[in-house]
Amino acid sequence: MFPELSQDFIGADSLFQHASEPATEVCALDAQQLEILRLASCSRPDKFPLVAETEIDWPEALRGTDEENSAAIGALRGFLLNGLRVALRDRKDVSEAQLEDFTQEALLRILNRLDQFEGRSKFTTWAYAIALNTAFAELRRKRWQDVSLETLLADGAQLGDPDIMPDAAFGRDEDRNRLVAALRRAIQQRLTDKQRAAIIGELREMPFDQIVQLLGTNRNAAYKLLHDARRALKNHLAAEGISALDIRTAFAL
Amino acid sequence: MKPLTPQQIEGIVRMVNQTRDREFNCSECLQHVSEFAERQLAGLPLDDILKRVEHHFTLCPECREEFLALEKILRERE
Repeated sequence: MFPELSQDFIGADSLFQHASEPATEVCALDAQQLEILRLASCSRPDKFPLVAETEIDWPEALRGTDEENSAAIGALRGFLLNGLRVALRDRKDVSEAQLEDFTQEALLRILNRLDQFEGRSKFTTWAYAIALNTAFAELRRKRWQDVSLETLLADGAQLGDPDIMPDAAFGRDEDRNRLVAALRRAIQQRLTDKQRAAIIGELREMPFDQIVQLLGTNRNAAYKLLHDARRALKNHLAAEGISALDIRTAFAL
Repeated sequence: MKPLTPQQIEGIVRMVNQTRDREFNCSECLQHVSEFAERQLAGLPLDDILKRVEHHFTLCPECREEFLALEKILRERE
């Protein structure tokens, strides 16, 4: 039997570093302690273990010998699974089996990018961020999987049409209507088909990952596509004499 | 396709208005979001890099959603 964990275990007073401090290099726990951590995290599904997440030099432990490495992976897995349970507990559409799958996928991503951890936050916070990114990406993909690229492109082609973006969209508000007309011209003249499609996706609150998938690209390239589109629109408006201040004033932004 | 609503048009205007020449993409945001979350939670000031993370959230609802979930975990852990 393993001992019951308590706040006194491995020096509880120093367990949680102040967030402004860089992650510290602490000697890795031995395999038995790591195994205890693993069991602790697995046996407390609704709460976080009382032991520290920062006490371990995680990258070192995860790169360690087989015995140390497997215990560290087990411990990290427990933290990630519990973290995802906390973050997604209000989602009725997420099963325990899915949480397990997300955790497993996230673990692989984390292990593959250990070199990218710069120690500017706690290791576990960094790992949680990756786990959440993994889980949400998968959940969003399933929600929007029936939308096609053809639909987005077809709707995007109409984006600069006066019937879709009417000049009088804002009634008698001349400033706003003038800006909308200029914006429509910019959409017609400055954007590519894919950029218009991406904007339509954004307007419909389609998950960005889904837009990325439909466009057949990756998240960074799609972000650049949209960023270039926004810059082109902004520059076009500026060329027509409409400044950022004009926009903010007209729309009370 | 139905005509855009004033809210949707305003959405485009907001996107354009918030555009900066240099922005973080989602990967860059993910690389720094853990530090951003810890400092936010501790009420500490943000440097220029972390301000870019904050700006990215105004344009990317997905990254903002993931940040809010991370914040939830960190609050629970406190």
